[in-house]
Amino acid sequence: MTITEKTMIEFRDVHKYYGDYHALRGINGTIRAGEFFSLLGPSGCGKTTLLRTIAGFEDISSGVIMIDGKDMADVAPNARPTNMVFQSYAIFPHMSVAENVGFGLRRDPRSKADKARAVEEALDMVGLRGFGARAAHALSGGQRQRVALARALILKPKVLLLDEPLSALDKKMREHMQVELIKLQRQVGITFILVTHDQEEALVMSDRVAVMFEGEIAQLADPETLYRRPNSKQVADFIGTMNFIPVTVLSEAGDTVEIEAKGLGRVSLDASLAPPVRGESPVVGMRPETLTLLYDDQKAAERETEGVIDEVIYFGDMTYYDVYLGGTDVEVRLSMRNVPGRPVLEVGTKVRVAWSPSALVLFR
Amino acid sequence: MKKAPFLGGYAILYLLFLYGPIIILPLFAFNDGRIVAFPLNGFTTRWFTEMFADAQLKKALLNSLTIALSSATLATVLGVFAARATVRYRWPGKPAALGLIMVPLVLPEMIVAMALLVVLLSIGIPLSIFTIILGHVLICMPFAVAILTSAFQSLDRSLEEASLDLGETQWSTFRLIVLPLVMPGILSSFLITFTISIDEFIISNFLGSGQPILSVYIFGQFRFPAKVPSMLALGTLLVLFSICMLAIAEYFRRRGIAKTGGKDTGGFL
Ligand SMILES: Nc1ncnc2c1ncn2[C@@H]1O[C@H](COP(=O)(O)OP(=O)(O)OP(=O)(O)O)[C@@H](O)[C@H]1O
Ligand SMILES: [Mg+2]
Repeated sequence: MTITEKTMIEFRDVHKYYGDYHALRGINGTIRAGEFFSLLGPSGCGKTTLLRTIAGFEDISSGVIMIDGKDMADVAPNARPTNMVFQSYAIFPHMSVAENVGFGLRRDPRSKADKARAVEEALDMVGLRGFGARAAHALSGGQRQRVALARALILKPKVLLLDEPLSALDKKMREHMQVELIKLQRQVGITFILVTHDQEEALVMSDRVAVMFEGEIAQLADPETLYRRPNSKQVADFIGTMNFIPVTVLSEAGDTVEIEAKGLGRVSLDASLAPPVRGESPVVGMRPETLTLLYDDQKAAERETEGVIDEVIYFGDMTYYDVYLGGTDVEVRLSMRNVPGRPVLEVGTKVRVAWSPSALVLFR
Repeated sequence: MKKAPFLGGYAILYLLFLYGPIIILPLFAFNDGRIVAFPLNGFTTRWFTEMFADAQLKKALLNSLTIALSSATLATVLGVFAARATVRYRWPGKPAALGLIMVPLVLPEMIVAMALLVVLLSIGIPLSIFTIILGHVLICMPFAVAILTSAFQSLDRSLEEASLDLGETQWSTFRLIVLPLVMPGILSSFLITFTISIDEFIISNFLGSGQPILSVYIFGQFRFPAKVPSMLALGTLLVLFSICMLAIAEYFRRRGIAKTGGKDTGGFL
């Protein structure tokens, strides 16, 4: 991979109004050259809007967008070093596959034969060798998507913009294309910016992810940080599953915070790892897989708490258990792999739950 | 589906009533007799010969074709602008402007014709083929705009954006992407407005200044029983012409759908 520290796109306090509606509320941040970047957020949070401001299809109301060091304020879409794969793919229905892919080369001074070769190469790259003569409308969803990719990549843009390119595909195809896209991005080394509302997709594919809520970037980080150290309850809740347990802060000295968590007891946490204080009622968050059910004769490595199983959700490879902790009404969800020799437990079983203080995230 | 044989019979009667008279047309156009009545007298092509020899009719036909082609072209071109402006852009006064374009649809044509006549005379524009074209464009516009608006509406906006994104300008995008994709709509609009114009009577009669116009001429000829058979011959040719036009339009429409892979929803024609 060729991610450098070089900045490809920079947002400086970008605002966008649709009439009275404040769609982008002060976007800041940078996207590096050569990285696979995702914009992740719930429906209506402004992901598409932000992507379209990069492409130049939407004017911004205030702020600055720089691409490769140049202010894009007065640059039209057809003059920007970006190309887009549209959510609907926007394949030109009256043209063949080759005409679609070669569309961007119309103004290219190269000879016809050279262009035809470039089209063949682009089709080859997305695994559609020999499809050139087909009518574009006669393709399947996955094939259309590849045509859209080839068509956008043939111009060798600095940035490729993808607006939910996989959302129209079925699950199998989607997972397949995720891997294909990652491979393709590594092969061409172009900065990819992907819009998605699927957190799993964002985590799987991206080098870094910006999580957006209501026109703002809530957190911009690599997938692991985002998952393990979300900077707010909202982000934690949006990315995967997280258990929230109410706590009282007992004391705070330097980097150490002493808390009393309901059902878990006293814990001391490293405050330097905790997200900034927001004045919410304090809770700790823990991911389901950081909790483990202990076998009868097993001892916890760090801490353990007693509990009672309230609900069993069987997934084949995994089982989710909802467990009441330590005789309280605090319920946590935990996930266990269904390995040989570990039977799926029943509702009402008394269990011991192992956990680690370092996996707790304090939100307050 | 076997429950209502009555409905089938009704449909057949209905179609007979609608199209039966049209079958009478060629029947009497080839009938050797001046009087349009059964029994038939025998086969002849002399009404066609008589019709082709009618210099005044030729002139009327030429005038009407000029008018219909001009009106259809103008209405369709203006319709493209109007449809594009309504579908893509927001501007002040849009509903009012659209409303005004559509008004001739509900206004009695007699009133449109009279109003036009009064206005034209009072500002001193002499009546001619040109004034008829003006009137025809006015009454054709609602049809053109309605057909074209739906054609433009069914166009995915991101197709244009994709073209812009790939380096084309607004204008080349319109030429390369928009125009080919709305072509079936343009064709429909042209054919419909052409048809409206060619058999339009009231405006042609009011604004014609004595120029022979096909519809007006045919109406006039029917006063003379001797002329009726040759008018039926003309009618026969017009029916043939319409069938050809429809066939051509349908051919292009189907080809357009096949080419873009759309679903055939029956089409306008
Ligand atoms: N052209 C527009 N005019 C007015 N409001 C708009 C326009 N485009 C988007 N919006 C509004 O801006 C907000 C953000 O829209 P955007 O399309 O960016 O959301 P999104 O995050 O892409 O959502 P989704 O996941 O549903 O695609 C939405 O509330 C939307 O209604
Ligand atoms: Mg969107």
